[in-house]
Amino acid sequence: MAGKIVSIHSFRGGTGKSNVTANLAAQVAMTGMRVGVVDTDIQSPGIHVLFGLDEQKMGKTLNDYLHGKAAIREVGFSVGENTGEGEGRAQLAGRNIFLFPSSIRGAEISQILQEGIDFNRLNEGLQTAVAEFDLDYLFIDTHPGLNEETLLSIATSDVLLIILRPDNQDLQGTAVTVDVARSLDVPNLFLLVNKALPKYNNFEVIKSDIGAKFDAAVTSVLPLSFDMAENASNDLFSLRFPDHEWSKALKSIVPFILNAK
Amino acid sequence: MSGDVLQKIRETNFFKELSPDASAAVAAKAAMRKFAPGEFMMRKGDPADSCFVILEGHLKVVTNDAKGDEIIINKVGPGESIGELALVDERPRSAGVIALEDVEALELTKDAFFELLDQRVDVSLGVMRGFSHRLRFSTTYIEKVIDWSQKTAEGDYSFLEQTQPIKNTAGSDDDKAAQLLSAFYSMVRKVKAREEDLKQTVERLSFEIDQERRKREFEEITGTEFYNKLKQQAKELRQKRMGQS
Ligand SMILES: Nc1ncnc2c1ncn2[C@@H]1O[C@H](COP(=O)(O)OP(=O)(O)O)[C@@H](O)[C@H]1O
Ligand SMILES: [Mg+2]
Repeated sequence: MAGKIVSIHSFRGGTGKSNVTANLAAQVAMTGMRVGVVDTDIQSPGIHVLFGLDEQKMGKTLNDYLHGKAAIREVGFSVGENTGEGEGRAQLAGRNIFLFPSSIRGAEISQILQEGIDFNRLNEGLQTAVAEFDLDYLFIDTHPGLNEETLLSIATSDVLLIILRPDNQDLQGTAVTVDVARSLDVPNLFLLVNKALPKYNNFEVIKSDIGAKFDAAVTSVLPLSFDMAENASNDLFSLRFPDHEWSKALKSIVPFILNAK
Repeated sequence: MSGDVLQKIRETNFFKELSPDASAAVAAKAAMRKFAPGEFMMRKGDPADSCFVILEGHLKVVTNDAKGDEIIINKVGPGESIGELALVDERPRSAGVIALEDVEALELTKDAFFELLDQRVDVSLGVMRGFSHRLRFSTTYIEKVIDWSQKTAEGDYSFLEQTQPIKNTAGSDDDKAAQLLSAFYSMVRKVKAREEDLKQTVERLSFEIDQERRKREFEEITGTEFYNKLKQQAKELRQKRMGQS
């Protein structure tokens, strides 16, 4: 069976998309699956930090691939062989998890924004990554909102996980995203609530209220947590603090991914 | 002395371990006293030179608050003894006792009490048994309160169902331990009820989606040529991948 493309999206930035994507990908890799993570948030890349990759360590990037300067094989960074610092990340040693980072060089970012992305090439890159790295799951950390590159990743994904915070702006934006995803026939559409305030003392109620409003499955409700904020994307929180409420709620998403058709 | 009087003596916690014969000996040494409503049986700070067994009528046990106003700390009635602890520990009266109605009581002076202890081993033994009984009783209750406190701290309220609520007897101070237990029990019940209330007032997410705006934005995105091409490509791509798997 061909690997599945799992896009993680949110209508607005700062929702926790990168943290959720990295932790979820890591948890799926921990089950023994072969996992890839692509940062298509070309304008504001961020997920590399969670995998301990900095500018010096970063080799070829997605930008190089898109400009025809590198093959996708060269872009894939094996996290399992380079876990680096971080107690949480260290647990990924020997696991099959590959990061396809976006360039963090200002000049390269503005270049691609000016020239635009060649969608066919990006699409081909994703398919090639799945094939060449023999991936079971390829997670895509998308750019927030509904610009063209995001629409492309939504269109090509088998699973779309939309993250929202329980507030009005996110809910309004999520409604449009859900409609678009349905119109693009995404086979598995899931919602995820992050940064839920402790005043919502019954997460099950949030889950069913939001689920009913969008007629979609809410995989989990992750609490707003000082510990998460404190971690400041320095490590993979759910691996480092496996018994934390945030981590437990995150891990409950894994079966939704593994059981998606 | 009548059988009624002996009965009342043996109803008191202090003398309840006495045999009929020993209580008759106590009665023989005691004097019958009467108090009119409002009359002091004893005053706070007085030397404790006798104890009483109440036969008829009720009295209030009072002390003064910081401002000097009287506060009633207890009410006592027939079959209860008063002032007996002071006989043994020789401390002055810790509270005043005032008749609320016509009261009849047996007074046993300290001298008569010690004479009795001296002469009759059965009375000594009975009084000692009374003390140890009381001690044991209190210890059991205190152990219970400790056990319940620990359970409550852990959120385990199962003992509420397993335990019969104890009547809150505002009786003699022998029941203080029982009162503590009872007060503790009802406190935990209230805490549990409050906790359940809190759980039930679930904060709901109040949100309204602006459906018109939703529709407008959807149409803006999907109305482009780019979008239609993308939709078509995505469809082909999926079919191709389906074919592969
Ligand atoms: N549940 C949470 N509680 C507290 N802080 C969080 C939570 N989830 C994410 N964060 C923090 O929010 C910030 C944005 O997270 P990030 O994953 O970069 O979001 P995005 O990729 O959507 O912009 C980070 O500083 C992260 O540590
Ligand atoms: Mg991000």
